[in-house]
This record gives sequence, structure tokens and C-alpha cells, in this order.
Amino acid sequence: MGEVSAGGKGERPAALAIGVPAARVAPRWWRSIAVRRFVFGYSLLTPAVLYVGLLVGVPFLFSLYLALSDASVGAPIARFVGIDNLLAAVESSSFRVALRNSLVFTLGAGIAKSILGTTLAFLLMQRFRGRKVVRALIVMPFTIPIAVSALGWKWMLDSQFSVINWALGRLHLIGAYGTDGWPVWLGQPALALASVMFVNVWRSFPFGAIVLMAGLTSVPPEVIDAAKVDGANFLQRLRQVIVPMIAPILLVGGLFDTVFTLSDISIVYLLTNGGPNGATEILPTLAYRVGIQAGALGRGAAISLFLFPLLLPAMVLLLRNLRRREW
Amino acid sequence: MAKVTRREFMRFSGTVVAGASLATMLDARQAPAQIRGTTLRMLKWSHFVPAYDQWFDKFAQEWGEKNGVRVLVDHIPHLELPARYAAEFAAGAGHDLIYFVGQILTGHYYRNLVDMTDVAGRLAKKYGGWMPSATSAAQVGGTWYGIPDFFIAIPILWRKDLFDQHGLAAPDTWEKFRTAARTLKPTGHPTGIQFSHCNDANHNWRAVLYCFGARETDPSGREVLLDSKETREALRFAKALYEEGMTPEVFSWDDAADNRYLASGVACCIHDAISAYRTTEDTNPEVFRNTFVLPEAAGPGGERRNVGEPNVWAIWKFSKNVAAAKEFVEYVGDHQKEAMTASRGYNLPFLLGQYQKPMPVIGTDPKLHTLQDIGKITSFFGYPGPMTPPAQEVLTSFIIPDMFTRVARGQDIEATVGWGMGEIRRIYSKHQAG
Repeated sequence: MGEVSAGGKGERPAALAIGVPAARVAPRWWRSIAVRRFVFGYSLLTPAVLYVGLLVGVPFLFSLYLALSDASVGAPIARFVGIDNLLAAVESSSFRVALRNSLVFTLGAGIAKSILGTTLAFLLMQRFRGRKVVRALIVMPFTIPIAVSALGWKWMLDSQFSVINWALGRLHLIGAYGTDGWPVWLGQPALALASVMFVNVWRSFPFGAIVLMAGLTSVPPEVIDAAKVDGANFLQRLRQVIVPMIAPILLVGGLFDTVFTLSDISIVYLLTNGGPNGATEILPTLAYRVGIQAGALGRGAAISLFLFPLLLPAMVLLLRNLRRREW
Repeated sequence: MAKVTRREFMRFSGTVVAGASLATMLDARQAPAQIRGTTLRMLKWSHFVPAYDQWFDKFAQEWGEKNGVRVLVDHIPHLELPARYAAEFAAGAGHDLIYFVGQILTGHYYRNLVDMTDVAGRLAKKYGGWMPSATSAAQVGGTWYGIPDFFIAIPILWRKDLFDQHGLAAPDTWEKFRTAARTLKPTGHPTGIQFSHCNDANHNWRAVLYCFGARETDPSGREVLLDSKETREALRFAKALYEEGMTPEVFSWDDAADNRYLASGVACCIHDAISAYRTTEDTNPEVFRNTFVLPEAAGPGGERRNVGEPNVWAIWKFSKNVAAAKEFVEYVGDHQKEAMTASRGYNLPFLLGQYQKPMPVIGTDPKLHTLQDIGKITSFFGYPGPMTPPAQEVLTSFIIPDMFTRVARGQDIEATVGWGMGEIRRIYSKHQAG
């Protein structure tokens, strides 16, 4: 280590003057490597924290405030009403129907997307001519604006001009128009719910397939080959080799899909608007109707907050599982 | 012939010239100088008749040029307006002049809207007063917080050729409507009214309710009166009408489905705005030739009550250009005849003096001329009460169409009324508690 050079212009440093090495100056604590690493790390993290805090945390706290108040669209000052809005929601039969539909919608569509997405991913992993074109086409439902695709389905499921009914009629699989054998896709309660779920699945399962494909490509072929040599069949390889290896990707994809499906307002709003008689009403459409269209912000926020306790356990379980696998 | 002296001639002609000059001056009323050089931003819906929007935009620009005001008109789908207003209100900034349609939010926002009683008074004075139902959409506590622009009538459109083939009378009562549907359904021509979550379902089933003598609230709008014998009668009638004269597709319909049903030649009669008439005119001339229009069908007690769709102007208190906004709204009120023409008879005025016959478009069309009197039987949701926030929530929750849907699907009428009243009373109690 060199000698300390100190002092101003024209001044001779004392240490140099007497020829004694300078005493070591202890670095200040905030200049220590540990602190500098700490500061550097958090300064890199700050934008993400700010982003999440401002765009997720603040709106969430605001909706919590609304849910506990009698806020309405035209009243600038709201009173604290405790859990009145939550109780009012539970008392309403429309809410209970919407809650049930939301669960059926999310679980039903989720299961269908898992099966179709997995199948599609394995199919697209095979080598065949035109694979790239097929891969590009398969993601189209996910890339088309939802308003456009939903309106397309609205026409295809139309009660009078449905192309699906036309085709089924030509195949003599359904009755004639105007008879009881003519399916009214968006008018019969069970069919209407199945139809909106179908459109959600049609739109989203390519996303699941892509996530799965991304995971599958990360599995070393030698591992699969070793499993084959050991005599594992396809299902055994899938369950005991592939899924454990790509679990983090599957869990994150599943989490995203659950959140998007549970909060999907567009398909129901555009296809049925929650009808007939609430058969396709889900929590987001009900919250929008009560909170924005009817102007009861407090009650609308309370309805939308019911999504939170539904999502929270799923998120905690998935994230804990993910963390355990990482460490 | 009596002889006219020079003095009498001069007095008479002087009076005529002075009167004409005054009328011209009033007609050419100039906006105050303070609005010159300002900007007026307004938000409207995208009208069902696109040509009307084109006319309106040009009309607004011309007014702006005449008065030295830069006019900006934004059109968005009417279902998106409430979310937009909530955002503008929260931000305390946005358009100077706004527009309620479908969801009439005057009762929600009136504390933040400019008092327009002066404009309403001037228009009433010029045009012989407002329709009684006009106040429902625009007044709160006797103060005008909005100015009714026009309303959309929802009449009966029926196929005269099909009715004549089977010796059926025009459906001027709901019983005749039902008889016709029952007779014509087996021939492949059922009727159709939406049992779904759409605007038309809200209008149509309310019209049936009101024609049967049921009332949604008391005149103050505070007490719900739907738990009545008349409501049960209307529900019973709707169930019979569905079973005898409709097919299940009505449970899936949106606002445009009945237009298509008529235009396709299937429907024997529908209950819809004249957009269905215009769609048929543009797409199926043969069916159009045989499509006739009646203002409304009468209920068992002879009552006819059409449930219209009001359109209302309002001005935010935070508007930067209240003076220009008021001037423009009054100018629009003075030009309802042009608006009627541009909308192909779709827009109907709220001002009584503008019902002088023949009215533009509907007065000259022999199949539409009966609509010239529809203002006398028009009311709006919440009738006979005003469009209060709870009445608005009942509307947007589709509780009344859902009551009709439940009964049509076979649920017990008493249980359905019990369910509907429970939902409606819960909404009213929440608003009254707030």
C-alpha cells in the first residue's frame, strides 16, 4: 500500500516530512463492501418495488378503502361502513350465483386448458413438415384482440345465423331452426356457461401450450433417453421426470392463467352480458355493473375483492411450492 | 271588399316588418362575446344511425365557426360512458359537456353538475314547455342538472301481410299481440322479445309491466310498488306469450337480434326502436313494404305506456367552458327538426312545441305518422318515479328482465316476485342508508 498523500498545494504532508509511513485510515462503514453491495442490490430492486407498489399496491389499498366505505361515483366524500358492503354482497342471490359461476368458470376452463395445452405442446414438439407454420397459426387466438374474437364467436353462436348450427344441421345432428332440437348456445343456461368457457379455453390454451413447450425444450434429451432405457413409459416419464423438472415453469404459467381466467370480464361481457337470468354472471361482470354502471363504487369494490381470498391461497401455495423447488 | 286606408296599410305593414325583424333577431341570437376564442370539448355516444353522428359533428363545427369557438366532439359506445364519467369525475377534468344515455346518471352526479335551469326555462318558453316525463331524467329536487336532448321510442313493428293472411287485427293491444303470435308461430312466424341482459329487455318488459298497470315506484321514487297484482298479471301474460308465440332463442338475444329477426322475414311482430324498421328498409325491401308501426299496445285496462330511452346533456362543474356549453345545448334544442331528419326519425323531441304536425320524417311517412303522438304515452324507467340512483341500479342489474325470464322458464310467479322484490328492496335500502 502506498503512502498517504494529503495536504493542500504548497503544504508538505507531515508523514512525508518525517519519512514515516502514513497510518491506515479505516474505511467509513457506509463504504464497506457489505453495505455497498446492499445499497447496490436494493437500488436495482427499487424500480420493481416502486412499480409494484404504485401500480398494484396503491390500487389494491384504494379498492380496500372503497369496499369499506359507501363511496359512489358522484360523491367525493365517503363514510366508513365497515364490512356492510361485504355483507350486502353475500346477502344478494345474484352475487352467490356469480361466485358459483366464477368458480365453475375458472376451474372448468383451467382443467380444459391443462389437457388441451399439454396435448398441443407434445404434438408441436414432434417433427413434421410445416411445424413452424402450425406453431405460428396455433397462437393466433391468443394474439387476436379479444373484442374481435369474441364478436366473431358471438356470430358463430348466434341463435338464428349460427354457422355451427348450420353445419350440425347439415350433418343431421340437431333439429331444424325454430324447434326444440335447435341449440341456442347463448340462451340456454348450461349451454351459455359452457359457451363462454369454451371461448376462454379456445383463446388461452395456446398460451399454456407455449409455456409447456418452453419448459419441455429445457429438459435435456439425455435425461429422457436415460428414463427410456430404464423402461419408463410415456406417462411415467411425464410424471416422474418431465413434470418435476419443468415444475417452476408450469406453476408460474398456472398462476398466470388462474388470475387471468378469474378476472376475465371481456368474454362474458361481450357474449352474454351475464345473461340469461344470471347464468353466466361472474364476479368481474357483476362488480362492473354494480360499481361503475350503477355507480355504487363501494359495493362494486366489495364484490371484486371477493376475488382476492379466492386467489390468495392459490398464489401462496404455488409460490411456496416454487420456492421449495428453487432452494 | 273593405277599403284599406293608407294609414291602416302603413300601421299594418309596420307591425309586420317590426315583428319579422324581432323574430329574425331572436332567431339569429348571438352567443355572448366571452365564449369567442375558447374551446368546447364534448363527449357523446356513437349514435345507432351513423349518418346522424356525421350530421351532428358538422352541425357542431358550424356552430363553433359561427361563434368563434373551437369545438371538439368525441364519440364512444354508450355502454362505455359510465366508466368514462367515473374517471373524469375522479380526475376532476375532462369534457366540458357530457351526455347521458342508457344509464342516466343525473341523480348520481348532480352535486357536481352545473345548474341548467336557465337553459331549460328558455327552451320551455320558446317551445311551449317540456313533456312531463322530461324532468325524470334531468331534474333533481326541482333543479335542472341536465337538458333532455331527445328520446328513442320503442314501438311495435308488425307484418301487415302476415296478419292479413290470417284475418288478424293490428296488435294495438297486448292481447291481440299474443293472439297474433299464437296464430303465426305455427306458420313459421313467431314473435320475439328479449329475455336476456340487454337494454331492449329492460325497455320492453317495463312497457308490458306499465301497460298492465304495474308501477315501479311511487311518484317520489322512494317506495317500490312492484309487489302488486298487476305485476303478477304481466308476468303471467309474458309466460303465455313466450310459450305460445316465441322460440327459446329469445333468451340469447342482444339489442340487435330482434332487428335481424324482423329483417330476415321470420318475425310476425316485435317491440323495438325504429332502428329495426330502418334495418329492414335497407336490407329487405319486400318485408319492409309490409312492416307497419304502432306506438304501443294497450294493456287489459286500456293503458298504453311506452318506455323510451332518454338522452340528456349535462355540464361538469369543473368544466372550463360552462358558458359555451350552455349556449351550445340551447342551440341544439333550437334545431331538433334538423336532428330528427338526420336521424331518420329516430330522435324524438322532449319539447311540446316540437310536436307540431307534420313532424320531420315520421310525419311524412304514412307508416310512422302515428309516432307523432308517442310523446303523450312515453315514460322512463322507475315510472312514475324519477330515474334515481337505486332505479338506475335496478335497471343495470336486469332484475325486471330476469323476473320475466324466470317465469317464462317455468318458475313460480310468487317465488319470482319474492326474489325480485328481495333484490330490489335490498338495492333501495342500501341507497337510502347511504
